[in-house]
Parts: sequence; structure tokens; C-alpha cells
Amino acid sequence: MNPFSELGLADTFEVDVKALEKTHRDLSRALHPDRYVQAPAGERRVALERAVRVNEAFRAVKDPLSRAEALFALRGTPIGDGKEPKPDPDFLMDVLESREALSDAKGEKNAAAVAKLKAAAEANHERVLAALGAVFAKPEKPDESAVKLLGKLRFFRRFLEEVSDVEDDLDAT
Amino acid sequence: MAYSDKVIQHTENPKNVGTLDKEDPNVGTGLVGAPACGDVMRLQIKVGDGGVIEDAKFKTFGCGSAIASSSLATEWLRGKTLDQAEAIKNSDIVEELDLPPVKIHCSVLAEDAIKSAIADYRQKQGKKQADNKA
Repeated sequence: MNPFSELGLADTFEVDVKALEKTHRDLSRALHPDRYVQAPAGERRVALERAVRVNEAFRAVKDPLSRAEALFALRGTPIGDGKEPKPDPDFLMDVLESREALSDAKGEKNAAAVAKLKAAAEANHERVLAALGAVFAKPEKPDESAVKLLGKLRFFRRFLEEVSDVEDDLDAT
Repeated sequence: MAYSDKVIQHTENPKNVGTLDKEDPNVGTGLVGAPACGDVMRLQIKVGDGGVIEDAKFKTFGCGSAIASSSLATEWLRGKTLDQAEAIKNSDIVEELDLPPVKIHCSVLAEDAIKSAIADYRQKQGKKQADNKA
């Protein structure tokens, strides 16, 4: 499925989230089962199936990670398990050290240290998004270095998920 | 997703979590990551004089299957020679832990970590020999 064309959008990495949400709302309204109460069963089913696809496409385009994955697929660069280059050792070392620091901060209930790690990861996350934006702004098929950016995005994403678990933990105590 | 009993045992009570001195010439460190899921794994071996692995430690930030795979790997590594260690296949881990297809990549990561730790150790030893000769 091409989630962009499903929503009638151009396949770009830059997305106006407000406009995307409006498109989704409008399409969902147009495809709402209430509008098809009088329609023949076949038409009703088609509208329902389309509504499901529209929801999937909306989620895929809204999240920058799945949006990037969709763009790699559309441009013919293979991604996914076993198809992506191994991360650089230095990068892995940074990831591991941040994860250890986060785990220490959690153990010490050090909210300030958690906040600092979070800010650094958010900045890295933003930087990778900007770099991916530059990749997709060009018409060429993204190369291996672009796929490495996608991997980095997932590492930062995982880290930030862990941060929010730790924050919940610290709030609860 | 349902984990197998063995995965749960290793996750709740992981064996050999920790760190060895990565500057020690007898320690090999493998650092690997799975870009498709964001897991990261460090596996270290300490090799004794007879070329036998005396100690193995790991630290894994990832899902239960990744933790279990690396925990099992360190258990298996102790007492093995480097050649025996190198022969460990991800499919052995899959079988022992009863990993489902979606979690096979965790065992691949563990095998990569073993190989990368051995390679690091051998590189250090080669360097030591070269230094001695010089």
C-alpha cells in the first residue's frame, strides 16, 4: 500500500501535520458507515474497507519513522530485518553508554540526569529527522548511508520510549 | 506476545550480567545492535591461558528474547575454546529458547556478538604479538 496516495498526498517526507489531520478527518467523514446505511451492501463494504486503509495510511504518514519506512519502500531501497547495514561501532558505543547512564539515573532516582539524557536524545532525534528530510528532498534512490539514518532514528526512538518509562517510574515513587 | 518458559527464566533471572575490563588484553568485547528494532547488546569474554573462555558477561538493552539470547550465550561460552565458541549458531539459541520466527533476529544478534567478541580478542592478541616482536 502507498499510504500517501491512499490519502491523496504527494510522497514527501515534509508533512504538514494539521493538513494531514484534516485530510484524514474529511475522508473518514465521507466514508463513515452512517452515510452508507441506504447504499447497496457491496458499496457499503467497499467504503468500510477504504476507511480501514485510510486509517492505516494516516497512522503510517503521521509518524515520521513509519513515514520514512514507507518512502524507502516507495523509492525501492530495501529495509527491514537483515536488509539494513550494521550500525557503526562508535554509534553503538554511544547508544550503550546512554542506556547505561539512563539505567543508573533510574536507580538513583535522579530526575535531573534523566531530563538531561532526554534532551540530548531529543536533539539527536531531531537531527536525524532533518538529515532524512534532506535525503528524501532529492529525487535519487536513497543509499545505504540513508538507511543507516533510519536505524539511528529507531535507536533514538527506543531510547526515548525507555526515558518515558523511567519518567513514569520516577513519578510513581 | 507469549514468551517461552526458558525466555522468561533468563529474563527474570539473567545470568552473567555485567562488565569486564575492555582494556584487558585477555578480554574480547563484542558490541552489536539491531537497526531494525533498536536493541543493543554488549558481550564480553575473558580468555585464559589455554585459550579457554574463563568468563563471559553481557549487557543487553532490548526485548526479553534479546536478553535471554545473550544470557544463554554467556552460559554456553564459559569453558569453551574459541573455536568451539565460534561454532555456536543462532539456530542453536532459537532451538534452546524456543524463539518464535519474529524473534529470530535476537538470536542472530547474539551470534554476531559472540563472533565480534572473539574477533576483538584475536585482534588484541595479534597486536600484542606484533608489539612483542617489534
